[in-house]
Amino acid sequence: MYAVAEVVDEACVAHKGCRLCIMYCPEADTILFDKTKKVAVVVEQRCKGCELCVVVCSAAKHNAIRLVHR
Amino acid sequence: MGKEKIKICEEFYDIMPPEYRELVDSSTYGKEGRGWKDVGVAKELIEEHSLCAGCPESIAFRYVLACLPNPEDTVMVGSTGCTSLVFPHVAVHNIHSLFGNQNAVASGLKRALAHRFPGKVKDVVVLAGDGATVDIGLDMTLQSWFRQEKFLTICFDNELYANTGGQESGLMQKGFVSKMAPAGKKFDKVRLPEIAEESGCHYVATLTVSKPNRVEKAIRQGVLIAREVGPTYIQLYTPCILEIGKQAMEGLQEMRDSEGPNERFAFKEYISEEAKAYLASLEKEKKPAAIPTQG
Ligand SMILES: Cc1ncc(C[n+]2csc(CCOP(=O)(O)OP(=O)(O)O)c2C)c(N)n1
Ligand code: SF4
Ligand code: SF4
Ligand code: SF4
Ligand SMILES: [Mg+2]
Repeated sequence: MYAVAEVVDEACVAHKGCRLCIMYCPEADTILFDKTKKVAVVVEQRCKGCELCVVVCSAAKHNAIRLVHR
Repeated sequence: MGKEKIKICEEFYDIMPPEYRELVDSSTYGKEGRGWKDVGVAKELIEEHSLCAGCPESIAFRYVLACLPNPEDTVMVGSTGCTSLVFPHVAVHNIHSLFGNQNAVASGLKRALAHRFPGKVKDVVVLAGDGATVDIGLDMTLQSWFRQEKFLTICFDNELYANTGGQESGLMQKGFVSKMAPAGKKFDKVRLPEIAEESGCHYVATLTVSKPNRVEKAIRQGVLIAREVGPTYIQLYTPCILEIGKQAMEGLQEMRDSEGPNERFAFKEYISEEAKAYLASLEKEKKPAAIPTQG
């Protein structure tokens, strides 16, 4: 079992221009901006589960990204 | 050059790895004004690598690669350390030689490129750890600055030898205790940015990677000034969360805590008079082009 990040679409405010998780994720091409749904999306195979995205998203009070176990 | 050289011939398109296809389809080679804002929407020039989860060196690598003004005509020179685990997964030409000799290799390379491609812009960028830059490679680092070699040196300063388990480095803080330096460091952190200025660098910046726009500006200026004027140096704080006992998600806060006005990584920038004049001339060149869009 390992942890990966997951975006809660309804809570994500990427449509208002938020890019915090995309910008601070240490891994390249791991959180992308979904141009159709206008939300952030995690590429699970690349995610190392560091939780930094959760920290920056919740510090901004969006609480739109969480760690889940696979 | 843009993407001319990496285009896939139609017959082979479907059998190429998806990462390569993405590079051709949406990476930012050849794009004017590329920068950190391209991340998340354009293919990055860095693939999966083995740095620790949450390592700020990875964040720094993302920004540096997103901000190089001319990646298709840039050659990076790396050195031994955690950064050398990333270079094999980077889509910019790069050279790895021996621990510490990066600035000597870059000097020869920059000169050779000028001979081989006269009249063409070819940037050389060194990227190495603090052990490589300040301890084992200090001779080569300084000599390249004394000789006014035209390339940018970037130091990923994590204040110790991370890759070998946390030995003391010249850039470690005084009094700091690490696993492999249990007695605590007895000397001050080497003031390499000041030494760089005294040694002839035309642009010197000290910062953390907590603000990508700031990193972008520093990298652009570092590369452009090195291209036209002379050597440049950027020292980035990329804390080794593993060796300083932080959790994977604590790297960003560690950088923010270390960049306050009186902290050791407070943002500092030095630009020589010659480099200032060059930057001003670049601004001037830009202005006439901006007039029509205002009408
Ligand atoms: C000539 C030589 N001496 C020593 C080593 C062992 N060695 C490998 S990585 C490393 C430390 C690198 O430290 P630094 O440059 O600060 O990079 P970091 O891993 O901290 O990013 C050492 C001493 C080596 N590979 N080659
Ligand atoms: S930080 Fe949160 S709200 Fe912002 S884009 Fe990421 S998931 Fe969405
Ligand atoms: S957990 Fe870490 S690696 Fe995974 S998406 Fe979030 S920031 Fe990126
Ligand atoms: S050992 Fe330290 S510097 Fe190296 S990858 Fe891990 S956290 Fe990063
Ligand atoms: Mg180091």
